[in-house]
Amino acid sequence: MRRALLAITGLAASTTALVVFKGSPGTSQVAQNLPTAQPVNPAGPGTDPSAAPDAPGTDPAGGAATPSVSTKPSTSPKPGKTTARPSATKTTKAPSAPRTTTKAPQSTTRRVTGNGFENEYGYVQVQIVVSGNRIVEAVALSLPSGGESDIHSGDVRNRYDGGGGEVVQKQNASLNTVSGATETSNSYKQSLRSAIEQAF
Amino acid sequence: MTHSHTHAAGRRTGTSSRHGGRSAAPVPPQIPARRGPGGRRLLGALLLVGLLASVLPWWLGTPAGSLRTTAATVTAAGRITGLVAGYLLLVQVLMMSRLPVLERWIGGEQTARWHRDIGATLLVTVLAHMSLILVGYADLRNQSILAEVGTLLGDYEDMLSAFVATGIMMLVGFSSIRAIRRALPYELWHLLHLSSYLILLLGYGHQFAHGAQLYRPGPVRTGWIALYLLVVAALLWGRVIAPLAFNLRYKLRVADVVAESTDTISIYLTGERLGRLAMLGGQHFRWRFLTRGCWWQSHPFSVSAAANGRWLRVTVKVVGTHTADLRDLEPGTRVWAEGPSGTFTAAHRLRERALLIAGGSGITPIRAMLEELPPGAALIYRARTPADVLLSRELDWLAQERDTSVWYVIGSRDDPGPRQLMSPDGLRQLVPDVARRDVYLCGPPGLVEQSVRALRRAGVPRRQIHLATFEL
Repeated sequence: MRRALLAITGLAASTTALVVFKGSPGTSQVAQNLPTAQPVNPAGPGTDPSAAPDAPGTDPAGGAATPSVSTKPSTSPKPGKTTARPSATKTTKAPSAPRTTTKAPQSTTRRVTGNGFENEYGYVQVQIVVSGNRIVEAVALSLPSGGESDIHSGDVRNRYDGGGGEVVQKQNASLNTVSGATETSNSYKQSLRSAIEQAF
Repeated sequence: MTHSHTHAAGRRTGTSSRHGGRSAAPVPPQIPARRGPGGRRLLGALLLVGLLASVLPWWLGTPAGSLRTTAATVTAAGRITGLVAGYLLLVQVLMMSRLPVLERWIGGEQTARWHRDIGATLLVTVLAHMSLILVGYADLRNQSILAEVGTLLGDYEDMLSAFVATGIMMLVGFSSIRAIRRALPYELWHLLHLSSYLILLLGYGHQFAHGAQLYRPGPVRTGWIALYLLVVAALLWGRVIAPLAFNLRYKLRVADVVAESTDTISIYLTGERLGRLAMLGGQHFRWRFLTRGCWWQSHPFSVSAAANGRWLRVTVKVVGTHTADLRDLEPGTRVWAEGPSGTFTAAHRLRERALLIAGGSGITPIRAMLEELPPGAALIYRARTPADVLLSRELDWLAQERDTSVWYVIGSRDDPGPRQLMSPDGLRQLVPDVARRDVYLCGPPGLVEQSVRALRRAGVPRRQIHLATFEL
């Protein structure tokens, strides 16, 4: 039992150490992250994203200049993430991919990818599968990931994506916003809207 | 001081042993080669590396400085504990797989101890994982913890089964607290413990559906699944295939049941190809006697004689209903055995000489081991009354043949004689070089605890003290 207590204490201590180590920007990547942390910080507590999103979110072309400086250094040290994005879409695509690719040449099934939108949490891009005049499937090719974004992105994906998601039910881009993921929901809708415009 | 007066009451056959105490082996058993702690250390190191590797995906996948809010920090801690818990669960099951390699490298006693310690750690880790994730997610969604439980159960795939798995784990952990365990019948406790395989099954889904490091296809997910498959394979091998092969090969049957004292019996077993059975004195098997009323119970008993190629023997004290039923075993009864296991053997000695301390029926593994220890061993045999002394003829013969000093210490624990003898000074007087010997202990818990304390004070290093405990 003494060893169990030791093990538990050790685990608790090392978990805390890991979290603290990752949490503080003052680790090995200080030089890169310090400028990053400053522009992002006001957005961090901005869980009410009503004020912050206006600049980078709704005006992606103009606003892209400043936020891209802040987001790029944070994504570049982890190339695994960027390669993981396309593979993440494969999870949801995997069951449907063979179906659509075999159908594509024969029928009117098309795959249309919307424009990508960068918000302060990450990059959002949506692809839809259109058969005739109907959207039969929606797939988020990219959603913000890492940290708490994983949860929000998961919620967004669960609600909108797939053959039975809200996109397919509604057949348009006026989706209900996912609570807690307002920003990502908005970017999703924008990307979806652009995909629909291209498709019809 | 040799005790010559032995009771023969309640014996079904006239002699204390069919062989007049002599070894039945055509050639005396050889002293087994020493097995060092190398295998155990290697395995320990491997498991530790695995623990680090299981947290590595989180470390690599989380950018530094990304944990800015409390919720994110708490969730991250929840993920780390989740990964650790997932890994520990697999180690925990592996420890109990009875894989022959594990039995050989660490031994049943040690794995049981690891299992207990890892089990307690695992339970705490799982509870920490659950509470951290709940608090973290609840904070993210701005809702109460109870509402978050509802969300997780309602909206998330496989979370219901994960909660059930946690419930089972708490139940198993709770029932394993020593005081509670003692109050439960062994069979109930065992059944409860068997249900822990459900934990493996029920906890599986949610890791891959929601594990931030595991839901994406990739090396991490594949590796995690491979770990699961490996553990299940080990389980199948150790619990099903190896025992099946053993029993098909040796086909053990009851040959005779002999009374050793009023409350102790010896069961002799024969079988096929016993000459090739690799077994060390002091090891135990889990025995299942295939008669009506007994077949569904499996109990660990040590063999009480070294391998001799002709028969096996277990000597059992009648303490419960199961052991009482064993008295009525008919010759010819088939026996299902799993083993041999245990590191309470001459092969695990660290020194050339040994001191053996037996209490009551704890003499059985020690009696078997005596045949294989290098000459010059010393045996202290504690028994409450002369009638409780078992196998004394065989011990007397071994004392002569293997140059072993045997002391019978008769009396209650509080009698002045035993008390003086079982003190550090008493032990040193009896065995002056006790600190340079391996000490093998087997007997009731009280005696074992008292002796370990005395031995430690007499200067015996902890690693030289070998305990025969097979609780699981």
